[in-house]
Amino acid sequence: MTEALPVAVSFDAFTSIGFWTSVGIIAGTFTIFTLGLQLNVGFTGIFNFGQAGFMAIGAYSMAIFVTDTGLSFWVAMPLAILVTMAFALVVGLPSLRLRADYLAISTIAFSEAVRLTALNARDLTGGAQGIFGFTDAWESVSDTIEGWLVSLGWSDPERLFPLFIVVWVVALLLTFVLSRAQRTPWGRVLRAVREDEDAARALGKNAFSYKIQSLVIAAGLGAIAGFFLALNLSFIVPDEFAPTFTFLGYSMLVLGGLANYWGVAIGALIFEVILEGLRFVELPISDVKIAALRFVILGLALILLMAFRPQGMFGKKEEMVLGE
Amino acid sequence: MNDAPATATATTPVPSGGRKAIFQANGVVKRFGGIRAVDGATMQVGEGSITALIGPNGAGKTTFFNLITGFYRPDGGTATFRGERILGHPPYALARMGMVRTFQITKALAAMPVIDNMMLAGPDQPGEHLGNLVFRPRSWRQRESELREEAMELLDVFNLTKLADSYAGTLSGGQRKLLELARALMARPRFLLLDEPMAGINPTLGRRLLDHMQRLRREDGVTFLFVEHDMEVVMNHSDRVVVMAQGRVIAEGEPDEVRRDQSVIDAYLGGSA
Repeated sequence: MTEALPVAVSFDAFTSIGFWTSVGIIAGTFTIFTLGLQLNVGFTGIFNFGQAGFMAIGAYSMAIFVTDTGLSFWVAMPLAILVTMAFALVVGLPSLRLRADYLAISTIAFSEAVRLTALNARDLTGGAQGIFGFTDAWESVSDTIEGWLVSLGWSDPERLFPLFIVVWVVALLLTFVLSRAQRTPWGRVLRAVREDEDAARALGKNAFSYKIQSLVIAAGLGAIAGFFLALNLSFIVPDEFAPTFTFLGYSMLVLGGLANYWGVAIGALIFEVILEGLRFVELPISDVKIAALRFVILGLALILLMAFRPQGMFGKKEEMVLGE
Repeated sequence: MNDAPATATATTPVPSGGRKAIFQANGVVKRFGGIRAVDGATMQVGEGSITALIGPNGAGKTTFFNLITGFYRPDGGTATFRGERILGHPPYALARMGMVRTFQITKALAAMPVIDNMMLAGPDQPGEHLGNLVFRPRSWRQRESELREEAMELLDVFNLTKLADSYAGTLSGGQRKLLELARALMARPRFLLLDEPMAGINPTLGRRLLDHMQRLRREDGVTFLFVEHDMEVVMNHSDRVVVMAQGRVIAEGEPDEVRRDQSVIDAYLGGSA
């Protein structure tokens, strides 16, 4: 034992399809979540740090509509997206007039206010116990997809594999739509606002309106991410929506590269694979320390990335350097 | 030293060289704390004129620009553009009315290609509204190709054709100045306000820019108001000169009259009192 290397890698779970399916679902959820950040930060230049709050509103609204109001899951989702967008409008109207740093602070505060409300408004949100029982409609869809997988020859499909498929179909579809929208006159105005708001206004563009649109759409994306988070866990609790979620989204954003929607999926995948893959590194220290160490290693990797490739994997260097 | 003549010219109605006024400002005031940066500025700009706005540093020229283009909220006074009251309107609304400005420090949209800078400024692009992207794809694509053509024509005039696909941030200072003017022209202005258009560009480019101003005025009837420090440019290329000092308009008239005005000489031109 003593002469064995202190670092060892166990491959027991490494090849487990169940494990990687879960990792894939989380990465897909983060992709949708971070597409909103890309729209705000990468293409509009507004620093939205409240994305986890929008995700919470989306997930909670959906769950409340289904379990309390008895609405169909399929009606509850679009309604929840509208509710989330309405919140974004209310948050954006005063805060988008602020300078970038104050906007960041006020959106973080908003996000925490949402989480703390979810924790304390027990009648509505179930408090720390959260909400269960909104997944019935999804289960039947999941069964159908499982049936297809069986008919394709996979005798015993992974239970979460249907969710994995759907989350990535949605994520890639949204990525496609957003990158198309970016190449339109609308996207051009957004970029102009990012570059110089006053110049955009002097050329007849209502910069404020575009910032609002950007935030509202990002909030809608946050809500969709919230649905997948809720389906993956099959319950929701306030702790899932801590600001850390937003920060992780920013890490993926930076990793994939600013101002490139396809980079978001790559950033989310690489980040999650490294983060979860590090679980298999066995060190002669306690599990708690290993858990913390995973983030230390990721942080180090991000610092190295910033030092050697500040534009991220797919970002355009010109857009970073010239932006200043 | 110059209080006496200052009030005399500022309060009497001023002719604008026989032209109908396209723009009028009346007693415009802007205070920053205790400082009155613009202190009751009154002036008018004749339609189709090239009017120069001169004055020593700190006279309030740029602040006045910011006021009449909606970037600052005024503390008093009125202003009209083609008979419509404009103070308090947001900048984008004024730009759409045809009152387009440039900035003293160029605002090239650095991380966007030159052609995108240009096309951005084109008016009436339905594709700038999300709904139209989905429901009127043909109309915005059509407009887009019109705008591209217009943009390329203008870039040609300013010798920027070869740079169309370069990021604006890679342009030299002088080229950025030209790009900003070309971009302002894309917005189809009736009244163009230029804040120190010649600053930092070489004489050859400056020449081109002045020629182009003259041509635009002649062919399209565009009106110009420009802030300038180069007296040679002001005296030879403008048909009216407005002089500001300490937040007020102290003189207004033909270049030759202004050159001889004692209050102007005291405040600005002569310098050595």
